[in-house]
Amino acid sequence: MSLKFLVVDDSLTMRRIVINSLRNLSYDNFVEAGDGKEALDKLLADQTINFVITDWNMPNVSGLELVKSIRSNDSLSKLSILMVTTRGVKEDIIEALNAKVNNYIVKPFTPQILKEKIDQIINPT
Amino acid sequence: MKHASNMTELFERLSELKVVFRYSEKLIPIIQNLMDFMKDTVPLLEDINSSLVESTSKIPKASDQLSNISSATELATTEILDIVDAISIDMDKIEKAVKNVKSKEEEKLLIWQKIKNKLLSDASANELIKQFEELDTFIPVIPGLLEIFQKVKNDVYNITLSLQVQDITSQQLAAVNHLIESVRTSLASLMTHLDDSEIKSFDNFYEDLPKGGTFDPNAEFTRSTERQDAADVLISSMNNKTSQDEIDKLFS
Repeated sequence: MSLKFLVVDDSLTMRRIVINSLRNLSYDNFVEAGDGKEALDKLLADQTINFVITDWNMPNVSGLELVKSIRSNDSLSKLSILMVTTRGVKEDIIEALNAKVNNYIVKPFTPQILKEKIDQIINPT
Repeated sequence: MKHASNMTELFERLSELKVVFRYSEKLIPIIQNLMDFMKDTVPLLEDINSSLVESTSKIPKASDQLSNISSATELATTEILDIVDAISIDMDKIEKAVKNVKSKEEEKLLIWQKIKNKLLSDASANELIKQFEELDTFIPVIPGLLEIFQKVKNDVYNITLSLQVQDITSQQLAAVNHLIESVRTSLASLMTHLDDSEIKSFDNFYEDLPKGGTFDPNAEFTRSTERQDAADVLISSMNNKTSQDEIDKLFS
């Protein structure tokens, strides 16, 4: 399966780190967005994106709002979503899972965790 | 009789007045003390007031400085990432070149083997072959070199991963900034109650502040996998693979 990633984070540093990590995992197709609003615009404009990696805390439209928007949009609802965030408290994780993220990573992440979570999403057991 | 009654009443009133004067005599020093206390207190209150004004006015600067720290670290991190990327690209080029050399050397070795076989019957050629084979060849060191390249590439990548600290500390600074803003709001409110004064130079203060939703006050940079492990258990539990007891233990 050919994956095209949308990496959403308001931190330029984090976007670059995630993209470098994806390159290390031999993925080479990605687009970026600085917040949830820009991400939605890009998703609606580019139907070839099939995997979203998003932060939670962002201006304009947060990562959680982005997830809810994706899941409630018929043309986007099937997208794979991995949340990568500093928020590690139980209530937050439950909220994200209830919003239907496919998987969840607590920052700072390791390349092994990123690989494991992507694999779990694309090859669910 | 009527005059006598009036006089009695007058004396009673005078007697009451005397009591009042007597109390007044005792009260006057107390009132004097109170006035002295007030005189001493007013400058003190003014000092407190001006100190509050000064402290409150400094808050935007403190807030700006915190924002500047975040911007500066982001800039520095971007520069480091640029350098790290450049090193990675160069390392890839060197690795590719070395692999190419290895492959060519192996090809040459095969041809050399064929040449050697053809010259086995020639004694003078055998001497030259012996001399040639005593010379060092590059091939044995290549696997070691490639191992070193891989290690350097991993180290460089680990630098990249460590730079996640920038995002996390930025969120921590934003949380501190938010806290400072709350203190400033309370101080400004206190000032208004004290003398109706308004703090100047706050026009753009709120615009520059990070909004509450853009940072996580509990962000932390740690090598421990504890938080990820807890998240994984919770995700499993949502798929009915983990017990409530296990979850409670991890998040306690």
